[in-house]
Amino acid sequence: AEAGGAGPVVAEAEAEAPPPPLPGLQLVQQGAEARIYRGLFLGRAAVAKLRIPKRYRHPALEERLSRRRTAQEARSLLRCRRAGISAPVVYFVDYVTNSIYLEDIVDSITVQDHINSVQRSGSDTSSLLILAEKMGELLARMHDEDLIHGDLTTSNILLRPPTEKLDLVLIDFGLSFISGLPEDKGVDLYVLEKAFLSTHPDTETVFKALLKAYAATSKKSGPVIKRLDEVRLRGRKRSMIG
Amino acid sequence: MDLRHQLELFPDCSVTLLLFNHVKNAAALRKKAMEGSMEGALINPAMIVDPFQILVAANKAVHLHKIGKMKTRTLYAEIIFSLSPNNNISDAFKKFGISDSDTAVLIVLIVDREKTVNLEDIASQVEGQQVSLDELPQLTDTAKVKKMYKVTPQEEKIGTLLDSIVCRMSTKDVL
Repeated sequence: AEAGGAGPVVAEAEAEAPPPPLPGLQLVQQGAEARIYRGLFLGRAAVAKLRIPKRYRHPALEERLSRRRTAQEARSLLRCRRAGISAPVVYFVDYVTNSIYLEDIVDSITVQDHINSVQRSGSDTSSLLILAEKMGELLARMHDEDLIHGDLTTSNILLRPPTEKLDLVLIDFGLSFISGLPEDKGVDLYVLEKAFLSTHPDTETVFKALLKAYAATSKKSGPVIKRLDEVRLRGRKRSMIG
Repeated sequence: MDLRHQLELFPDCSVTLLLFNHVKNAAALRKKAMEGSMEGALINPAMIVDPFQILVAANKAVHLHKIGKMKTRTLYAEIIFSLSPNNNISDAFKKFGISDSDTAVLIVLIVDREKTVNLEDIASQVEGQQVSLDELPQLTDTAKVKKMYKVTPQEEKIGTLLDSIVCRMSTKDVL
């Protein structure tokens, strides 16, 4: 009776895209949007991002949305690299399953984990100020390319080993888009600010340093910071179209 | 001497690379390839910086072949086309395929598990010396590659030439 009960549940899970048959395969993360695996692809350490289909969506919409997010991610990653902004190399895009195979930044840690470990160890937070500067510079260069990340959090920025070098890599461009509007850039920074301050307590000075470096690096930062202040006053972002 | 790699996503397909130097019959080989009487994709090694570049092209070509969405007519033509950063097929053949005056040839074969491909048979058709893939970097024309793939100076700071190339190859159809 138990085996019979387990049957339908197993079939449901198997209907989704199976894990890619990569050597050394490990499931790294199961997010709402995608399953992330690590493994060897064509002889290299790679990350495979397989989108999770949302069954509550109409299939035509699901397909279109999935395809668009995958394409946006690929496009944005190329755009970053062309501009000299560190982001993973794209190895292969599968438009059938809307999966993307990217470079794995081996032994990297997220900025989130780094900040947490610095805070936990009671280390001098002045090192975080330098990190914030680097982040501000990186985001300024990204926005100067009119690239909006769309999901800026400290877990979407990686530190290449060795950590002390503060060599940053931007990841997860699934929600990214192209825009020159200060509003969009302001909102991008606002999203990061909310994520930053809620994840890392007592880091107001750190984020301030980030914005200072952003303003100093970006040629178009004036209107962006202005919009950021306005968005803060509004509360959650409102997309006022129509 | 040759390099073999089984495609992870297509386990019944293996990619084999053969490199030849001091080749005297490039013209004849090119003719055979065009006629379809010779198995394999004949590639100009000057445009290749690393075997990984070929693997990425081959993986994409096999994928498109399996779903019936190739842009060219044969799997081997598709591999050559996949190497190109743009969507111009004849330009891809001109730049990445071999020309009559070439003295080095890289042959790429896709071996199906059921079929057996006779490597000696193919190698014997080449009037040249088979060399190890380790010698590929010596045959690469870096300047030509950079120009073809339009690598920006900023890009060179954040990664290798191979990184820039692979990125363009894998994302060219999204743009």
